[in-house]
Amino acid sequence: MSETESSTSASPVTLRVNGETVHTVAALHDTLLTVLRDRLQLTAAKRGCNQGVCGACTILVDGKTMRACLCLAQACEGAEVRTLEGLNDTQRMQLLQAAFAENGAFQCGFCTPGMLVSANALLETNPQPDEGAIRTAMSGNLCRCTGYVSIVAAVKSAAAMSKRGAES
Amino acid sequence: MNTPDHAGTTARDGSQVVGRAVPQLEAAEKLDGSALYIADLYRHGMLHAAILQSPLPHARIKGYDLTAAMALKGVHAIVTGDDLNESHRMGAFIKDEHAMAKGKVRYVGEIVAAVAADNEAIARQAVRLIQIDYEDLPAVLDPVAALAPGSPLVHDNAAQYVQVFDAGTQGNVCSRTSYRQGDVDAAWADCDLVVEREYRTQAQAHLSMEPCGALAEIDAAGRVTLWSANQSVFRVQAHVCETLGLPMTRLRCLTPRIGAGFGNKMEAHVQPLLALLAIKSGRSVKLILSREEDFETVRARHPFHIRIKTGVRRDGTLVAREIELLLDGGAFGDDSPGVLGYALLMQGGPYRIPHVHAHGRVAYTNKMRFGAFRGFGVPQVTFAAESQLDEIAAKLGMDPIALRRKNMLAGSDPWFGGQPILSNGLAECLDTVERESGWAARRVAQPVKAAADGDSRRRGLGVALSAHISGLLSTGAIVRVLEDGSVVLNTGAVDIGQGSNTVLTQMCAQALKVPMDRVALASPDTDGSPYNWGSTASRATYLTGRSVVAAAAEVEKKLKEHAGAMLECAADDLELLSGGHVAIKGVQQRSVSFADISGRAHWAFGGPIIGSSTCVFDQATFDPKRVAVLGLPFARIGVYSFSAMIVEVEVDDATGRVKVLRAWSACDVGRAINPRLAKGQIEGAFMQGMGYALSEELVWDGPRLVNPSLMDYKIPTMVELPDDLHAYLIESNEPSGPFGAKSVGEIGINTVAAAIANAVSNATGVQFTQLPLNAERVLRGMLAHEASGNKVAP
Amino acid sequence: MAIQGMHHPSTVDEAVALLARDPEAKLMSGGATLVAMMNAHVLEPQALVSLARIDEIKGISILPDGRVRIGAFTRHCEAAACALLAGTAAVVREACAQIASATVRNMGTIGGSIASDDPGSDYPPALVVAGAVVEIASVNGRRTVSAGEFFVDWYTTALEQGEVVTAVMLPKPGVGTGLYVKHVRVAGDLATASVAICLHGDGRIRVAVGGCGPTPIADDEVNAILSDDCGDAALARAGALLQERADPLDDVRGSADYRRMLIPRLLTRAVHSVHSTQRGVV
Repeated sequence: MSETESSTSASPVTLRVNGETVHTVAALHDTLLTVLRDRLQLTAAKRGCNQGVCGACTILVDGKTMRACLCLAQACEGAEVRTLEGLNDTQRMQLLQAAFAENGAFQCGFCTPGMLVSANALLETNPQPDEGAIRTAMSGNLCRCTGYVSIVAAVKSAAAMSKRGAES
Repeated sequence: MNTPDHAGTTARDGSQVVGRAVPQLEAAEKLDGSALYIADLYRHGMLHAAILQSPLPHARIKGYDLTAAMALKGVHAIVTGDDLNESHRMGAFIKDEHAMAKGKVRYVGEIVAAVAADNEAIARQAVRLIQIDYEDLPAVLDPVAALAPGSPLVHDNAAQYVQVFDAGTQGNVCSRTSYRQGDVDAAWADCDLVVEREYRTQAQAHLSMEPCGALAEIDAAGRVTLWSANQSVFRVQAHVCETLGLPMTRLRCLTPRIGAGFGNKMEAHVQPLLALLAIKSGRSVKLILSREEDFETVRARHPFHIRIKTGVRRDGTLVAREIELLLDGGAFGDDSPGVLGYALLMQGGPYRIPHVHAHGRVAYTNKMRFGAFRGFGVPQVTFAAESQLDEIAAKLGMDPIALRRKNMLAGSDPWFGGQPILSNGLAECLDTVERESGWAARRVAQPVKAAADGDSRRRGLGVALSAHISGLLSTGAIVRVLEDGSVVLNTGAVDIGQGSNTVLTQMCAQALKVPMDRVALASPDTDGSPYNWGSTASRATYLTGRSVVAAAAEVEKKLKEHAGAMLECAADDLELLSGGHVAIKGVQQRSVSFADISGRAHWAFGGPIIGSSTCVFDQATFDPKRVAVLGLPFARIGVYSFSAMIVEVEVDDATGRVKVLRAWSACDVGRAINPRLAKGQIEGAFMQGMGYALSEELVWDGPRLVNPSLMDYKIPTMVELPDDLHAYLIESNEPSGPFGAKSVGEIGINTVAAAIANAVSNATGVQFTQLPLNAERVLRGMLAHEASGNKVAP
Repeated sequence: MAIQGMHHPSTVDEAVALLARDPEAKLMSGGATLVAMMNAHVLEPQALVSLARIDEIKGISILPDGRVRIGAFTRHCEAAACALLAGTAAVVREACAQIASATVRNMGTIGGSIASDDPGSDYPPALVVAGAVVEIASVNGRRTVSAGEFFVDWYTTALEQGEVVTAVMLPKPGVGTGLYVKHVRVAGDLATASVAICLHGDGRIRVAVGGCGPTPIADDEVNAILSDDCGDAALARAGALLQERADPLDDVRGSADYRRMLIPRLLTRAVHSVHSTQRGVV
């Protein structure tokens, strides 16, 4: 005798994730974060609060940053979802990662995937952001370890590196 | 001072890697998202757990009805206090805690049962079907009430609990401690000025970005393998085995990547529960606490009541100090006795005060336990003591820095209690921040500034000094030479994100003169690692580092013994060459490689070369001839680090909101093994301390925690980062430290609230005696000052 | 008759028909508020009606009569960047630009936000000051409600069972400026208290206070005073009147008392700032 609520029973769902079509299952209440992590083994996006505040679950949906914890998987069919795993081989992300490494812009690393996705999105629309623009764009990514100093430095550094690269 | 070296690669010859800003060993996986934290671990067929929390602050559990919950399809096991043995209790200092509530619930939110089911939804549904029959008991919610005669007892017979030191546990007194030096009662008469005031500080949540969680697996023989978010695999093992009555051979504790701890993960959270569910269900079980559950069930920083009295001579010389602390300990002892004892040790600050009476108590209350949190009581007492020093400076007409310089520990001054200090960089710390901030020029009263919106802002500068200890309890290191001459280092130290893996590897590599990539680091494992008490108390660099260096030295000795035989000379005639070789001194071409030596050792001499070392700090905290001590939780701790901080704040006259514009934080770390990681600690500690100073507060409405969510409990964002945050690494070269290092994990937070409070006071003319200095408190203080000249905000 | 699961109607009529069939079904706009509540197990709906595929409620446009129509499914980031929200409509843009954080602004929508009516949220006082009108649809047809009448009580709007917000209409923007002054604990927080202000080219001022009561606090007498005179005495009278109308709560963002204290101070700041901005613009 099943007592489970029907909202917990999973139905098939087709998603576009990191450029590929994936067929998986999701219950009505399953967030994109749950599906990415538990069904698709894409664990870079983290669950820090499940309320959309901490930013550790930040991913791209149709090119814009979104909180995976606030997207219902069943509502994401047809959208292009991109996680850190799907950005790792892009030049801009690699520049950012190098800048983060050089500047020590992470410690425990839990907030880092969300930070990188947000920073990447910022540099895509604003390749040479000033400090105010960086802080505003990333105010929704919380970090408890670094004190943010090295993260701001890393984003500036990545912007500078990419400018030098573009100019050369 | 070493300047940071942006090392994209390690030194080719392996030398001089200490002092370089090498990136973390785990950089690649943390940056590409492949790092595996506890929540990222999955096991085939694993069950998911959910917890049931107590709705009441204090009640006897009369019975459980699990029938409906057990009948739910997909439920495999339910555990309650009935699964636990009454006599099996855990506790860092006082064994007062079971794996979950047993017999009584003692705080709203306490874990009272747990379910393991096929998936999280079923587990949560089952939890809702559990019926518990409670008999309400009167609750006690604040420490003063808890210590009043006749108050309800949180623990029916606390005195009967096992105490690991003379804690004086009884009634609602969890522990009591007192240190007495000189003759305080007589000394007041010698003082030209005596100031006494009370201060209060709030509960702060650790807010590691990763919530607590664990995964327990069980094999066919019933042995449990337990992964968890932790700061010590050995403490996990000890707590779980104590509270479940397991022999330690039945439990192996391992560690994934950790998403920070700050003290929240130092003692047990859900690990005992998960082990129990694995045993009962015979399956692997995983539980990751939600953010709300993490807020409500684990632990937080102690609220302190502080009464502090200081006497000085007219010329500013400190003569006498009396301080009394009352800590809200919450429902269980946890690390509270340690926090009390340590706060009392540190409350005098880095100053000479001949006559001291420092005493206090921890009270049990019906709230969540309070425990270890970066600073371990020192941010609280530093706020009070440094505020009082500023009050004294104002009354004497002295500059606050001048007053501090007059009394600062220097030269061969010992710490309060007599422990010798072998490296003291405090003066350089203070010189640095005073110079860099332009203190002298700025301390002229700041005019009220008009801003674009027509409103005024006031600016102020504030200073604070503090210290911290690196050390405490036991640690070890094993260095083993692999067949090819490379090396495995095993310390059992958990890297919680602070970079201990990297720093310890740097030390081992430099000690053996090999490149870092020739040193592999074994992951902490209670099966194979040497004992390491934990990544806490700022101890990894200093204490574990000492073991690493000593173990490497033993390896060097054994390498030379073999090499001597192979090169037909005395071991004393040999030296290590960079890159993994042993050569005759001055005759470099006569050498053998580590690989050659290791081959010989393996194949002809029984096995690999292994060096091992254990370490515990050997200096007593207190000289019994100087200090009368009651209830000392730590007989020996470690070495002292020092810090000085100046901050510049801007206060919004209209709203009371405080903004930190600039901050200068100088920390004497002995030697910065990795300057980037060390600065990261100072920067991160600053922002966490700033949140403590200005916005963070766990709030209770009666027994219920009102803001256990990130919507309602706010930590600083990137927007609140000061315009300039300068971290300075001061190196005083500690003789007992590995490569001269002390540690840096906590020292950066102790001064923050104090410096900010002093700066706000400089800006507004009002002294604040409570934290946090949120906008409402500051505005009210300013208005009261305006209206009545009242200089001290209640 | 109950519906199950996720539904993606493509017209407003389909959406309201689904709601009429199942009163327990929940509407989902951007999802930010709804999904957070589901994650917290505060809500456990069996059926959801998503508004994401209804073109009619998307986009910001100018109507033939010059009014600005903001579709209910307009994300905060779109409104914050929209050049049409200028002059006397700028207050709306200023307010939504301060909602939460950049990523949340990519997700939340004006329709979803005003329907949840969280205390301390930013649209309500701005929409009141801008003279906004909310368009609502149900199986019974369409109706409109002024912003001042849309926000009824704590977490309560004029929406009846089965109704959905389809658009927010602003009067034809005129010459003028608008600002939103928000007092928070840290960036991205809900407002402890806020003041939305609109200064028209002819000197008329409209203000509304947020976060200090069950609904935004706006008062014709206050607007009249400030439209006539912005000197210290007038500001003090206006501030006192707004304080009287306020009915704030004690919560973790601030006590009721503190919120009352803030009202005249934030009002003064808003009035001075909007005049500075106006001078800068001219």
